[in-house]
Amino acid sequence: MSTPELHGKPNTPVEPPQTAFHDGVSVPSAGMANAKHSRRRDPVILIVIAMVISIMLVFGIQRVHHTPVKTPAGQLPGQPAPDFTLTALDGKTMKLSDFRGKAVLLNFWATWCEPCKIEMPWFIDLQKKYASQGLQVLGVAMDDAGPGEISSFAQKMGVNYPVLLGKEEVGAEYGGLEYLPSTFYINRDGKILDHVFGLVSKSEIETNIQKALGQQVAAK
Amino acid sequence: MIHRALCACAIVLSSTLAFSQDLARAKTSVTLVPAEITSIDRGHPGTVQLEFRVARGFHINSNKPSQEYLKKTELKLDAPTDIVIGRITYPQGEDHSFPFAPKEKLNVYTGEFGIGVMVRPLSTVLPAKYAVHGFLKYQACDNAACYPPRQLPVSFEVKVTKGKPAHRRNPAQSPHAHS
Repeated sequence: MSTPELHGKPNTPVEPPQTAFHDGVSVPSAGMANAKHSRRRDPVILIVIAMVISIMLVFGIQRVHHTPVKTPAGQLPGQPAPDFTLTALDGKTMKLSDFRGKAVLLNFWATWCEPCKIEMPWFIDLQKKYASQGLQVLGVAMDDAGPGEISSFAQKMGVNYPVLLGKEEVGAEYGGLEYLPSTFYINRDGKILDHVFGLVSKSEIETNIQKALGQQVAAK
Repeated sequence: MIHRALCACAIVLSSTLAFSQDLARAKTSVTLVPAEITSIDRGHPGTVQLEFRVARGFHINSNKPSQEYLKKTELKLDAPTDIVIGRITYPQGEDHSFPFAPKEKLNVYTGEFGIGVMVRPLSTVLPAKYAVHGFLKYQACDNAACYPPRQLPVSFEVKVTKGKPAHRRNPAQSPHAHS
């Protein structure tokens, strides 16, 4: 038989209010009188207190993020793309650095991500269009689905570029990947030129590919 | 001077709070609306209605998503011994199309939605309040991106009552008693 859980303390005493009421008129109590004195505090101290509270809040919130993000995504452009070794759907292992000398479109996606599915046909087209100029699209599936399921999904979509099985550590290297799709454009020297979170237009993707290839992009 | 200092404090604090709320919003796109305690007679089934709120701008897949590879919303509960969790009733989702796929309809929950949980305390349970814990599995997206599947902790209380005593029929009286 179950034992019921205890629920609170029914007779917890309630603290008296700071303002006393006499005949419907509120009369400041001793607590309020003290508050008057505290108004005379040095404003610099107040600012310092506010700053400390703000910093504590920000750091407190960031601690909630459990993924150990090495570099925030916003700071990645201009940095060398973190190298990784992952297994492809065909069982081969691939390193990002294997593609040095090529422009890489690194796309993190998942089977449950509808916007990711929209981009895939565009990547297929753009891979065909720019392969001869040195583009390599790489898909990294950040999925809890098994390789079989990911493989059948990729086949159904007609993916013509390597799809790698992602790991959380790799996601952490790329800023944590709080949402998908996340796409990084890496130039021929292995530097991240730009990153785009969420779905964008095909023309924007193409422009970023051209930049990664080192082509002159016409101003729009 | 004091006013300026206070204004500066207010600006710093409000911007920090706005930033923190933005972060928190991204983390928790679904929340559980606090539920009232449901009273259920022991030995009888009762339904606990749990209300959830999907943050504005987000949607989550329904319990029966339109595509097999999409993550369905599902409630998983662990009940105390002698409290039986029965059928969980999910609402029908709404078919929506989104800017990322205007021609495609996805069956989703947005705004508020309720999940009914059938609870039946066994007739041997002591009358008292019991807590049921679990989590809601969901996967949220906005109009351009999707967030990894998450688990929202869920808990509610059930007050098990003795219930009304079984109705006693009057014993049959002899027709000769009123002679």
